[in-house]
Amino acid sequence: MLLIEADGKSLFAEHGIPVPVGVVATDAGVLPPGAGPWMVKAQVPVGGRGKAGGIARCASAAEVTAATGRMLGSRLKGHQVDACLIEQAATGQERYLSVMVDAAGYGFRVIWSAAGGVEIEQSGTAQGRLCPPDPDAVAAALAEMIADEPDAWRSTVADIGHRLARMLVERELALAEINPLFVSDSGCVAGDAKVVVDLNAVERQPLLADMIRVRPSIYADANRKLEEGFDYVELDPRGEIGLVTTGAGLSMMLIDELTARGAKPLNFCDIRTGQMRGSPARLMRVLEWITARGSLKAVLVNIFAGITDLGEFAGLLATAIESTPGLQVPVVARLVGRGAPEARAILAERQPSMLVTEDLEEALARIESIVRGRPA
Amino acid sequence: MIHTLSRETPVIVQGITGRMGRTHAGLMRAYGTNIVGGTSTRTDIKEAAGVPVFADCAEAVAATGAIASVFMAPPLETEAAVREALAAGIKLVVTVAEGVPLHDAIAIGRAVNQAGAFWVGASTPGLAIPGETKLGFLPDVCLRPGPLAIMTKSGTLSYEVGYRLAREGLGQSIWVGVGGDPVKGLRFADLLPMFFEDPRTEAIVLVGEVGGTEEEECAEAYARLGRRKPLHALIAGREAKEGVSMGHAGALVHGESGTLDSKKRRLEAAGARVYASLEDLVRGCVGG
Repeated sequence: MLLIEADGKSLFAEHGIPVPVGVVATDAGVLPPGAGPWMVKAQVPVGGRGKAGGIARCASAAEVTAATGRMLGSRLKGHQVDACLIEQAATGQERYLSVMVDAAGYGFRVIWSAAGGVEIEQSGTAQGRLCPPDPDAVAAALAEMIADEPDAWRSTVADIGHRLARMLVERELALAEINPLFVSDSGCVAGDAKVVVDLNAVERQPLLADMIRVRPSIYADANRKLEEGFDYVELDPRGEIGLVTTGAGLSMMLIDELTARGAKPLNFCDIRTGQMRGSPARLMRVLEWITARGSLKAVLVNIFAGITDLGEFAGLLATAIESTPGLQVPVVARLVGRGAPEARAILAERQPSMLVTEDLEEALARIESIVRGRPA
Repeated sequence: MIHTLSRETPVIVQGITGRMGRTHAGLMRAYGTNIVGGTSTRTDIKEAAGVPVFADCAEAVAATGAIASVFMAPPLETEAAVREALAAGIKLVVTVAEGVPLHDAIAIGRAVNQAGAFWVGASTPGLAIPGETKLGFLPDVCLRPGPLAIMTKSGTLSYEVGYRLAREGLGQSIWVGVGGDPVKGLRFADLLPMFFEDPRTEAIVLVGEVGGTEEEECAEAYARLGRRKPLHALIAGREAKEGVSMGHAGALVHGESGTLDSKKRRLEAAGARVYASLEDLVRGCVGG
């Protein structure tokens, strides 16, 4: 999970990596720190903010207020802007430095480029080295890569690289990237921070867990996962199809197939039926989130039961629906696998209006006809 | 060694006295897997799912000659369990738990390589040679002996694929869930040579997802190894939200990296067929 820049930078500061003086603003009245010029940066967990209009350079406090006011509340690359980082603009030449987990190499990859900036991925100037998962090995590799840098800042860059690698290990991160890293005779400073957290390790990383918990709106999906123990991602608050599904891959595929049919899925969901243990609580939570959106037109339940007993699941589904009075749209249930006949019998009795099928194509066709407003 | 597994291969279940371990040890035995024992920290239990329970892998291996293990316990215990299995001489470890931390997975991968063993997982329903053996919890309803080798990141999506193809009369020669994590054991590209060598396999089905570079690596290996058998691919996540993990830790798109377009382009350039929907994949495989 990508941290917003402000959190990435506070993590940098924790590990002794220099960052500009800044403040996080959630309303337009916040005063910028120190002397200008300043940068105002929308805090959304996604890359490419600059090109999308989420970063502004401001010469005066009035410009800062205007930029903050313009960004807050807007949507940027699919994310609501709930906070802006206002910081003193850094100066110097731009470099690129990152350390990340290399999945195929069972190690770390350190990447350095003497040309930092937004076009780094296209520029082809970045050089990467695969190292064993050890900060000292990263530091040794980086030392060779920065050999041509001037004495004025070479040792500072080396130190920053070592700290970045130690941070990657200690916080169990997937990626720690500085782009640009400003270098000058007077020092080095991280102009940006891209930090990807491993949500699977957060349980033993209290600092990261706290960072996520204090921002329930920005890290909504991660908070849901940590609190509820399953995955639910809202894709489009104006979506029409609520998904109650198990399995990440199949849920993703259904989203793709629904979209191709002209339907707008509201959410991704991996409810993990195997962990429900006889309780309708998870189903009720998902129905509650789905029905909170007024654009909802239908709910698609899709369970491929390898291990799950569909008879039991159908009972829980009926109970969850009965306890969700806000659910006023048709429900289509595609249930296949163990106990499918029992499930069909239970739902025929308790939810007679529900279409229950074993055939996914039939379920998708019914959803399509509901969205298009014509009878199936 | 994956494609040489058979109903004779002796397998242990680590964590066999837990709810999941006990259930799936029983289901694997019912399928025909040669489960010869299990391990547990519960010293008071001597038998579970009809097989003996040992204190650790070393004891289990000494008593049974097991060469493969399935670990059925929580993600944060996975690294220690794999180290225990490797120390006992186990040559194939299957870890099913979802949620193994990334840095643990790196350590596991390095230990497995050092031991000259194989690791399937994490976050996988396991693997099967239909009609012979299954290690993990692939649903029996999808398994049917046949000519297709399936390799997949997703459990559920592969169930759907396997089930539909089996309904059309196309079963599987071998089925490996590589899992949805970014750092893992065997990867798609590692499996290709095994599938090419396996005489039962006539064609290969790749069930991928956005995120990571495994599909791209597989495309490169497919072209390099000479496209010896047809490769059919389905990749989920065209509509995935950038910067957000879609359930699987590995299913994460950043900028251009890991997108469906990148994977599709590379696979097609290598000579694979990439389908836009489940239905298209099934038609493509049936049509040969």
